[in-house]
Amino acid sequence: MAKILEGPAMKLFNKWGIPVPNYVVIMDPDRLAQLGEANKWLRESKLVVKAHEAIGGRFKLGLVKLGLNLDEAYEAAKEMIGREIGTSVVRQVIVAEMLDHDEEYYLSIAGNRDGSELLLSNKGGVDIEENWDTVKRLFIPLDETPTLESITEAAHEAGFIGEIAERVAKIASRLILCFEDEDAQSIEINPLVIRKSDMRFAALDAVMNIDWDARFRHADWDFKPVSEIGRSYTEAEQQIMDIDARIKGSVKLVEVPGGDIALLTAGGGASVFYSDAVVARGGSIANYAEYTGDPPDWAVEALTETICRLPNIKHIIVGGAIANFTDVKATFSGIINGFRESKSKGYLENVQIWVRRGGPNENQGLAAMKKLQEEGFDIHVYDRSMPMTDIVDLALNS
Amino acid sequence: MSILANKDTRAVIIGGIAGVNAARRMAQFDFLINRPLTVQAFVYPPEEGQQKEIYRGGELNNVTVYSSLAKALEENPQINTALIYIGASRAYQSAKEALDAKGIKLVTMITEGVPEKDAKRLRKYAIECGKIFNGPSSIGIMSAGECRLGVIGGEFKNLKLCNLYRPGSFGVITKSGGLSNEAMWLCAQNGNGITSAVAIGGDSYPGTDFVTYLNMFENDPDTKAVVIIGEVGGTLEEEAAEWLGKEIRRIKVIASIGGTCQDVLPQGMKFGHAGAKEGKKGLGSARSKINALREAGAVVPETFGGLSKAIKQVYQELLKSGVIKPEAELEEALLPALPPSVQEVMKQGDVIVEPLIRTTISDDRGEEPRYVGYAASELCEKGYGIEDVIGLLWNKKLPSKEESEIIKRIIMISADHGPAVSGAFGSIIAACAGIDLPQAVSAGMTMIGPRFGGAVTNAGKYFKYGVKEYPNDIPGFLNWMKQNVGPVPGIGHRVKSVKNPDKRVKYLVEYVTKQTTLHTPCLDYALQVEKITTAKKDNLILNVDGTIGCILVDLDFPEYSLNGFFVLARTIGMIGHWIDQNNQNSRLIRLYDYLINYAVKEEREVPEKK
Repeated sequence: MAKILEGPAMKLFNKWGIPVPNYVVIMDPDRLAQLGEANKWLRESKLVVKAHEAIGGRFKLGLVKLGLNLDEAYEAAKEMIGREIGTSVVRQVIVAEMLDHDEEYYLSIAGNRDGSELLLSNKGGVDIEENWDTVKRLFIPLDETPTLESITEAAHEAGFIGEIAERVAKIASRLILCFEDEDAQSIEINPLVIRKSDMRFAALDAVMNIDWDARFRHADWDFKPVSEIGRSYTEAEQQIMDIDARIKGSVKLVEVPGGDIALLTAGGGASVFYSDAVVARGGSIANYAEYTGDPPDWAVEALTETICRLPNIKHIIVGGAIANFTDVKATFSGIINGFRESKSKGYLENVQIWVRRGGPNENQGLAAMKKLQEEGFDIHVYDRSMPMTDIVDLALNS
Repeated sequence: MSILANKDTRAVIIGGIAGVNAARRMAQFDFLINRPLTVQAFVYPPEEGQQKEIYRGGELNNVTVYSSLAKALEENPQINTALIYIGASRAYQSAKEALDAKGIKLVTMITEGVPEKDAKRLRKYAIECGKIFNGPSSIGIMSAGECRLGVIGGEFKNLKLCNLYRPGSFGVITKSGGLSNEAMWLCAQNGNGITSAVAIGGDSYPGTDFVTYLNMFENDPDTKAVVIIGEVGGTLEEEAAEWLGKEIRRIKVIASIGGTCQDVLPQGMKFGHAGAKEGKKGLGSARSKINALREAGAVVPETFGGLSKAIKQVYQELLKSGVIKPEAELEEALLPALPPSVQEVMKQGDVIVEPLIRTTISDDRGEEPRYVGYAASELCEKGYGIEDVIGLLWNKKLPSKEESEIIKRIIMISADHGPAVSGAFGSIIAACAGIDLPQAVSAGMTMIGPRFGGAVTNAGKYFKYGVKEYPNDIPGFLNWMKQNVGPVPGIGHRVKSVKNPDKRVKYLVEYVTKQTTLHTPCLDYALQVEKITTAKKDNLILNVDGTIGCILVDLDFPEYSLNGFFVLARTIGMIGHWIDQNNQNSRLIRLYDYLINYAVKEEREVPEKK
């Protein structure tokens, strides 16, 4: 899943004829004043200013301001830009026209195994949660395009009437086009608003997920997906991602503040089971990590050093299944170098290390790891005969 | 018995180097169980027509690379399975072609990062064709004792440790590739091993699902129990639970589901496989999957670590009830060992290989090149120069400061003598003809011989002979030369003479004899010879080749190496000429007719061939 910000989503909506309010994305509040001179709507409409960042709960954090005039919008933008929220900094704000409207609707589409499903409701906005059971669902089989008639019928069933039903169906048909052609995974418009006086529609707020794996066939995707972990990435995570983008195989890291059990685990499947084992035994993880696909030793070394620097950790779990083709000796030599380097910098004091692994060159890899005992590491090394996640039990019982 | 892959499976691999590596791993398995090669062809247009070397044990096979699947199948109609290793942007088209091919029944995709829509379309298309599309992101399929598709099972040693040379009674279905290997190991350690293991891949929309393979395992009489390893996200595990609960099943199901930790993680924080994402309202959560499977009668331990015990318990029950008959284990020593490579055997010290060549001067097997043992960087650090490297590589000795200075001067003096000499002229003509640097320089190089620059070695050689055999008898030496060699190499010059001395010679002789402490018996001898020869004829002076040759002999360089100094020095000049001509954008020279004497027969008629 790759979530994209509102700005790029609006741009894609525009491309496919889905009505959006007028909007601008700015990094400098002064730019807003200049844009105000050029754009009538900025001067004459009520405005909404939102932090254009992947930050959850923006409303509560005061990063969404409604009903402003241009001067107030300038002040709001000035206040927001540069604000630090946890590990993130607000760098951009989106300033949009706050359309006076009569009603709020809900419109979304999401992929499933056999195609996709279109959801329609005439009770959008904050009411959608409690009216979830009345949402009209239209299944769209893979590579089939529903007729406008069938969408209109669905709109009627969702409670839309007359011309509004026709207009909503038209917007929905464009949403389907946008979804299909942009390799989207889900698009949720809430609310879709209408001003009945001139029958103007606009998608006031939207969440769009695209399939980042399909980027090779979208030359005009000039954006990057935002963090998939519900907050923006930390510096350490960003560094590991940068390495990940450059190598064969992959290295991944997500920090989980407050935990005391660090994971340095291999394989997309096994790594999750290690996290599970820690949680199931009442422990708390300090991070999630994963190295897979026989990455180069220096990448694993960088991941190791990053993990050793995590604050207040008591244990490091160097776990993994029996690898198919990841070279245990080579990847372990990266981990060993990372441990040595970290120790020389004063990390790893009072940290116990627990190792379980199998795979190509496992004997040499495990033997090398075991030798760290002679260098004063508190390290416990097990081979394939130790059940995979049982080193977590050993760590927590120690 | 097995599912999906068996002894009759013959595969084509679509993709480049990763596919070839997989084919090599697959051939190791073929060797282990003594079956014919599984991979019969590759399809990879950039390498069309190449043969890939695939060892089945010690037997070398050449497998052809085709430009298209159609061609591969035309020549190898026995192929019934396709493995897709090609990059994500081409994977869809390749898999679709494979599904279209009449003889291919199974397509399994190893490629990762395939767009979801492509995977969804392939799944749908495979169902319409009545074929199996496994993957994307699948590590492969293993049928113990029958067939290996992909690198599933890892290294050779692991194939044995997991008892994959003979079928057991457990089926394995996983999303993760690494865990498929782990599960095979668990089945071997706690039970009697596997029949087949399938990795369906961790993407959001895999081409197959647990139920597809559960049905196959249910219909495979040798499979008595199936281990499922699933994870949070999607509904495939719930569907498996539904399948299990719907009617009485012959096979036992043991399962482990990853992702329970996500219940307690900060909101929105997700990780793992692409497909490992919880839906709205807890749909597809690990907990709901575990509950559904338990309710349907599957054995689901609380953590992955509990799988060992669960498999053991099911195995013991099946043994007790007689469903599985205990079988004597094979003696591991009876299993074939992979023939080791020459390097491996040599490391063990079990074989002697006569070396093809021998070197005594340099070694780059370490972190950096070493010249006769000295690290290049250390030489630089300690102030040594190119003259010292020459001393080391040509004579295996580090010259003294004085000696280095002499070597440096010899090279500086010989670096170039203008464009008119044959060497430089050769390089210039080649440069004018648009020939690249190395070839143009070697064109000049080919000129070095008896009449140009090649006298250094012989001069050194014969003066050295004179010092040894006629130490105080110059006339005797000259006489011997006259009878056995001819003119003395290193003596005589076309334009220079006693009255018009060669300044380079004068400088070198003075420098060596007056400014250094070098002992110069050979040079002294040559100067004595010169005294006698110039008395006979004014221009029979010691020339530059002779001077250099003698000094180098006095420097203790082997006599056969002496021409090397001229070659090395003049290379600098020839490269200079080539660069110069290129800078000027010089064009090819054609000799003017008036510079050629056409001493040829007059025009005449060609006679009829007899």
